[in-house]
This record gives sequence, structure tokens and C-alpha cells, in this order.
Amino acid sequence: MGAAADKLMSKVAAEDRFDYSAAEVRDLQVQALNERFQERRNAIKLLKMRAEEAGIEEITSLDDMVGLLFPHTAYKSYPESFLMDERWDRLTKWLGTISPHPIEGVDLEGIKDVDDWIDRLAAKGYFISCSSGTTGKSAMLIASQKDMDWSKIDTVNVFAWGSGVKPARDRMMVGCAPVATVPKNKTISEAQVAAFSNPEWPRWDYPVPPITVGSLTKMVVMRKKMAEGSARPDEIAEFEQTSGERQKILDDAIVSTAEAIIANRDKKLMVAGLWSGLYAVAKAVRDRGYSAKDFDPDNCIYVGGGLKRAQLPADYQQFVHETFNIPEGRHFQNYSMQELNSGMPKCREGGRYHVPPWIVPMILNQDGDALLPVDINGGKVEGRAAFYDLSLDGRWGGIITGDKIELDYSPCQCGNKGPSITDNIARYADLQGDDKIGCAGTIDAYVRGMS
Amino acid sequence: MNAQVQANTGEPIVSAPIFVRGEVIEGSDIVHKSRDLGVTFSTANVPFDKAIPPRTEVPPLLNVPTSEIIDFLVETGQRLVAPDNAFVHECFDRMASTHILPREVIENVGKHAVSYLDRRILEAELRENFPDPRALDGWIPKQDFTGRKSFVRAYGPRLIHVLPGNSPGVAIKSIAQGALVKAVNLFKMSSADPFYTVAILRTMAAIDPEHPIVKSMSAVYWRGGEAAVENVLYRPQYFDKIVAWGGGDAINNVIKYLGPGFQLVSFDPKTSISMIGREALESEERMEEVASRAAADLMMLNQEACAASRFQFVEGPQELVDRFCAKFQRYIAERAAASGDIRPLAMDLKEQVETLMMLDDEFATWGRADGKGLVIRSEEPVDFHPINKIGNVVRVDRLDDAVKYVNVATQSIGFYPSERMADYRDALGAGGAQRVCPLGEVGPSTYGNPWDGMYPLHRFVHWMVNEDGIDPR
Repeated sequence: MGAAADKLMSKVAAEDRFDYSAAEVRDLQVQALNERFQERRNAIKLLKMRAEEAGIEEITSLDDMVGLLFPHTAYKSYPESFLMDERWDRLTKWLGTISPHPIEGVDLEGIKDVDDWIDRLAAKGYFISCSSGTTGKSAMLIASQKDMDWSKIDTVNVFAWGSGVKPARDRMMVGCAPVATVPKNKTISEAQVAAFSNPEWPRWDYPVPPITVGSLTKMVVMRKKMAEGSARPDEIAEFEQTSGERQKILDDAIVSTAEAIIANRDKKLMVAGLWSGLYAVAKAVRDRGYSAKDFDPDNCIYVGGGLKRAQLPADYQQFVHETFNIPEGRHFQNYSMQELNSGMPKCREGGRYHVPPWIVPMILNQDGDALLPVDINGGKVEGRAAFYDLSLDGRWGGIITGDKIELDYSPCQCGNKGPSITDNIARYADLQGDDKIGCAGTIDAYVRGMS
Repeated sequence: MNAQVQANTGEPIVSAPIFVRGEVIEGSDIVHKSRDLGVTFSTANVPFDKAIPPRTEVPPLLNVPTSEIIDFLVETGQRLVAPDNAFVHECFDRMASTHILPREVIENVGKHAVSYLDRRILEAELRENFPDPRALDGWIPKQDFTGRKSFVRAYGPRLIHVLPGNSPGVAIKSIAQGALVKAVNLFKMSSADPFYTVAILRTMAAIDPEHPIVKSMSAVYWRGGEAAVENVLYRPQYFDKIVAWGGGDAINNVIKYLGPGFQLVSFDPKTSISMIGREALESEERMEEVASRAAADLMMLNQEACAASRFQFVEGPQELVDRFCAKFQRYIAERAAASGDIRPLAMDLKEQVETLMMLDDEFATWGRADGKGLVIRSEEPVDFHPINKIGNVVRVDRLDDAVKYVNVATQSIGFYPSERMADYRDALGAGGAQRVCPLGEVGPSTYGNPWDGMYPLHRFVHWMVNEDGIDPR
């Protein structure tokens, strides 16, 4: 591990971690990036290829990094047939092209399904998290035990900083979202329970079967078969029925969670979920005649992820906050993504997402191939977000996202001098959804009912 | 012709005038960023009342004979290629700034498309689309076996054409076909090409601003999916049919508005493939020739066209197939270099290709992931869409093994050798394919032939009947 990176990462729990201006830490960050590059360049095949192509031997500025950042799609670049045809040896080999640590000693004999494969990898310290994609491929992000250990600390710090809630183990935690059983989510959830949950009040788990990678894969496989035309009508009918049953379970979960919240309304609560689920539960609570006046004025809320294209009324946040009596000072938002290992919490005074010194933000042009010029002494720049997260150990920390963000190098109203992100994050995919019409296309356009 | 104005961001805004039944309207009500190059253009709002004549008016072209319409279209064609046509020149200047393909490619495509405005071709379209093309010009008397009499007319419909953005040629074809069926036409231009349709219509107006063809045509722009516009236009009270290209979101969006009296004629998004039999690998010379033909099919409109081949199923042992791949890549690269089109691969595509390169024991690649021509050999089709000069050669033991990959999205199948087409066409049809042709000839098609599984002109018209009692004899 490099000295510069260690120095930056040592701020993980520092009170003033968001108060380092970019100018102050930039030299150290560039040194740290070079340390990581030198450690990894021969270890990660894809990185080696990129470095050779770009002719980069050493990182001396952020510009040198641009060609070495991986697009977020890099983690779904595996041939889908490996997954469909359950070729675990091939998938494992693919993981080897993006992992800095050689993947060794994993027993690949008699693997039942993808969940089993992931378990076998986890047993050897290779933790795979998958992004949920029902229409396309899932991204497979590999991480190490060090990454899990880091997440455990970071998630609690991020929430405490962003919400002002002290980890005092005095709350009842209520889950309002189906949990994907990937190692990172499990780790985060456990760390939060340990920090915030009253040991005498067990966490309320959203009563739905967990979303496993295997269950997501089934949907992806089905979609592919539908596209190919190899899905038989009986298979589609069965799939439709299963989807219907699953929907019923989801609908019931909203009701029973709302009832659990009402039954425990005398306790100090921490509700957690995605906006769509939180909104649905809040609505069910209101429908039963309960609202802010019935709940503890010190309740808090943990929101993960964005809207994920859920259609909600314009005032959904206010509605949720008011239902559970979440006071103004307890609102919490975090900007992060599966691809990163650390969070960027929103401050309550300035409403900006704050970037810690061990994450190096880079704003690129829309194509993601050049750094946009900006004055790091107080300037502002808008474009495609890219980050290097120095805290990542189990994979390359450099990632180009699909998000359009505005990065502000001027001090925030909250008093912190570090770089921060304006609260107007958008996805390029949503911005470009215009009339992209052509006569050329694929069979995907002919698949109905799975998006 | 038009001064360029600056957007807030400092980048230039290109003006895209609209055309409404003979009138050219400039405006900056809508400022839009074009999808592929990020160029911004400005255009006027749709003047609804002007663009949609009420149904109390008979279509302007109804009683203009098709022969006269053809005369006018042929003359338009000549004017479009005339060296002094300022509209077309200006248009290519503008298009070069919004289109993903280089100016020369667009210009060639535009010129090639004009060749459609040929009397013999237009007459062939009418002859093949209608059992009796005279039904377009008048009421055709009929009598059935009971002695009942009537008149039938291929009545001029009211059409909205949602034009694609990837093929300038579709604009010409749509205008010509809209004129041949005597329709009242509204063209919705795409953000990738908000210019060419208007240039054609302005050329027509320059010939005769009062001609009924000119009075039957409007070309406008709005952002696809804009409810404030589509909610107004997409009504049977105004239009009979919507003729739409594309799929996915573009079509899903249109479907919402369909209902009794407002129908969809869809030109679906398509993919094309090649099927190459073992005969191609018989000798070095044969391999060269076939590889060259395969590259021609792949490079159609630099692989932006629906007819451009994406997957090449090659029958034979790996060693021979690999030799074919090397030649194939060389021919693609030669064509790519000659076209001057040097777009890098999209990020995610590059990523996937490079992954295959790293997993080299199962896939083989020729060329690089740099947009200058690349061939990937695999045992089954790759799971991404080959585009920007990428061939995916899928090795098969027998061509029969390729048939299962044919589906309803398969447009053209370039076949080698031609003699084996007859053995396969029934099975290809069952899979949903649209056409099979000799390898290297995916571009040309017999004039007047069906397209997308239909005779489009026949679908466009509104068949109207005038019953006339029973013959007393």
C-alpha cells in the first residue's frame, strides 16, 4: 500500500475530512494515484491493456488518469453466454481480467447456480456484488475483505455525518426495501444495525424473499429466450404467473411493514429503503390514519440510491419525511454507487454532496475521454462524473460513471472547503432519451413486457 | 443563408427551417441538441392549423393524374442533383455538422437516393403495389358474380411520417411515395437530420410553389415523445395513418395514440446477416472474392444501415474460417479508410470487444477496437450489436446451424453461393426473414418489390367504395 494513499485514507473518521481543499491535497492525490497505478498496472489485465494503449508509464497529473479509468460498463463486459450456459470456469477467468488479486483456490466443481458460484468465491475472499438489471446484463463487481472492512466503517460515518444521528444504538431499524443479498449490501446493513439499532429491538426486515443474483439472472435469461424466440408460450405463461405471485408478495410487504411501523410508533425509528419503497410504505401508514403527530420527532431515515426511474409524485420526499416525522435536520442523502467503495453525504446546510479526500473526482467531457478544464481554487465544472476511489482494494478504483454532475471547488455553506457536488445529478441515459429512430435495430425492440 | 446565433453555452446554433405546404418558416422556438454529435439546432414550433388542413377539404392531389405527379417527381430529382441547387448545398453543410457520418458519405447517399426519382422506378412501384393502379386516378367500376356493381378508389390518405435519422434516402422515398398515393403528408424529422426533407420540399416549391404536391407536404420538427405536440396531432380526425420507422421507445410512444381510425404502418428496426457456405473457402482466390463481397455488405452506409451485415455465419473448419476472417478484416479496413469515417467505438462496445481479446482462447480477433475495421470470430453470436465496422464471424459446421439465429428482426441475408439460396429460403421465411440475396448485393433490390413484408403503397391508401346497385341484366 502506498504512503500517500494511506495518508489520505487515514482521514476516514476525521471530523474535518471534508474540509481539505482540492488545492491542498491535489499533489498528495496525484502521488497516491501513481502509487495505485504502479501497484496495479501489471496485476489488472484490463488496466495493463489501457496503459499500453495510452502509453502511460507514470501518473503525473489527473490528465494521465483519463485513459485509465474504466467505464462503469467494464464490469458487465463478460460474454452473457458464460452466465446463461453456466460456464463458471469462463466467468471466473473473466473476473481474473479485472481483479488485481489472482483468483485462486476456488472450487468450481458441481456448482448449482450463480448464487452458489458467488458463495464459493466469497469463501475464498472474493466478494461479488451485482447491480440489478432486469433488462440487460448485471454488472459484477469484485471486492476484497479489505473493501468490506472499509465499507463497514464508511457507511456509519457517512450516515452520521449526513444526518447528524449519533451511533448510539437507541433506535428500531425498519427496512422498507427488498434487500439484494450481495456481500456489500449485507455488510452495510450489519454495520448499521451494530451502530444504530437498539439490541433489544430486532430490525424489521422487509418481508419479501431476498433478491439474489440467481433470481435476477433468471429474468435476464427469460428475456433473452423471449428475444430469440426460443421461449415456448407455456414458459412465458408460467413466468407471468410467477411475476404475478411475486407482485402479490411485494404488495403484502408494504402493508405489513406499515403495520409494524404503526405498532412501534412509540420507539425512536430509523427507516431505511429506496424512495419508491419508502413512499409506498408511507402512503400505507397515512391510509391507516397515522402521520407525523404519531411518531417520535427524532426519527431518522436512510435512503440508498436514487429513484431508479420510479414514477413518484413531485413532493414524494416531503411526503415521506412528514409521514414519519423526520425533522429538517435529519434528512439524509448520499451520492455513491455500487462501483465505488465510499459514500459522499449531502450536508444539511449547503445541500451539496461532499467528496472526501480519498476520492479524487474528475469531470470529463460527455464522451468521457478528456478532462474538462477547471480552476480547483474555487471554480465550478459540469460534465461526466468520474472518480478514483483510493479506498478500493479488490478492483481498480477508477471509474467513469453514467452521471452528469456539477462539481464545485468553492467552499460550501456548511463551512467545508473540500470539493462538493451540486444537488442536480442527472443520468446521461435519461437526458438522451429523445427520438433515436433508425431503420437499423435489434430484436430487443421486439420484446414486450420485461422492461 | 442564415446567420448563426450563439447558445448560452457559447456553442453555435444551426437554424433548421420547417416547411408547411409551400411556406418556409424559420424560428427559434425549439432549441435542440442533436443526438450523436451534440450539435445544437433551433427550429420553429409546429404551426398546427397551417400544417393540418381540415377534413372538409379534398386532398390537393386527389384529381391530379399519377402521370403528372411522376413528371413532377422526376423533375424534382433532376433539380436535386443540379450543381446550382443552393438548398441542397446548404443542407449538406448543415447536415455535416449534425450527422455521425462524414459529409462525403451523406452526399453520396443523398445523390444515390435521388436515383429513386426515375420514371421507370416510380411506375414500377405503382404497377407492383396495386392490382390496378388506375384506382389512384379514378373510381374503378367493379361487378361481382351476382351482378352487383360498384366503384372502388384508392383514396388519398392523410399520413404522418416519422422519419428515421440514419438514412437520408428515406426522406426522398417517403416524399415520393406520399405523393404517388396522393396523400396529405406531415413529415416529422429526426434530430439527427432536421434538414434534408426540407431541402427537397424547397426544391419542389422552387419548381412550382402552387403545385398540389407542394400543397400536400409539410416537414416539421418536434422532440419525439413530446406529449404537447403528439396529443394534438395523433388523432383520426386529422390523420389516418402514422408511418413510423424504428422500434423500442420510438414505437412504444406512438402506440399509445393508436385507436380506431388511427393506424400504424411500421417499418421495423432490422438487423442483417450473411450466410457463407463452405464453397467460399475452396481456394485462396475464392476466399478473397467472397471476403470482399462480405465486406461490401457489412460496410453499407458504414454499417449504419439496416441492410448492413452484422453477423457472418461461415461454414467450415476453424483454421479455414480464420484465414477468411483475416481477409475479411482487410477488406473492411480498406473500405473504412476510403470512407474517411473515423469514429471511435462507443465506450461500452470497446470494453466488450477488449474483453473478448483478453479471453483469447475462445474468441479470435483481427484488427483493433478503434473503429477502423474489426472482425471477431466466435462459436455463437456475440451478445452486443456489431456496429461501426465490426464483423462477427460465427463459425458453423453446417449453414443449417445458422438458421436458428434468424428472427423477425432479420431484414436481409446475403448468401453465398447463390445456388444454395433456394435450399434455405423456406426455412429463413419461417424464422421471420424479409429477404435473401446474393452476398455482396444487399444494397440493390428489384424495383416495386415489397418492403418489410408488405407492399407499402397499398397499405397507405384509404380504400373507398361506391356501391352502385345490381345490374338488371
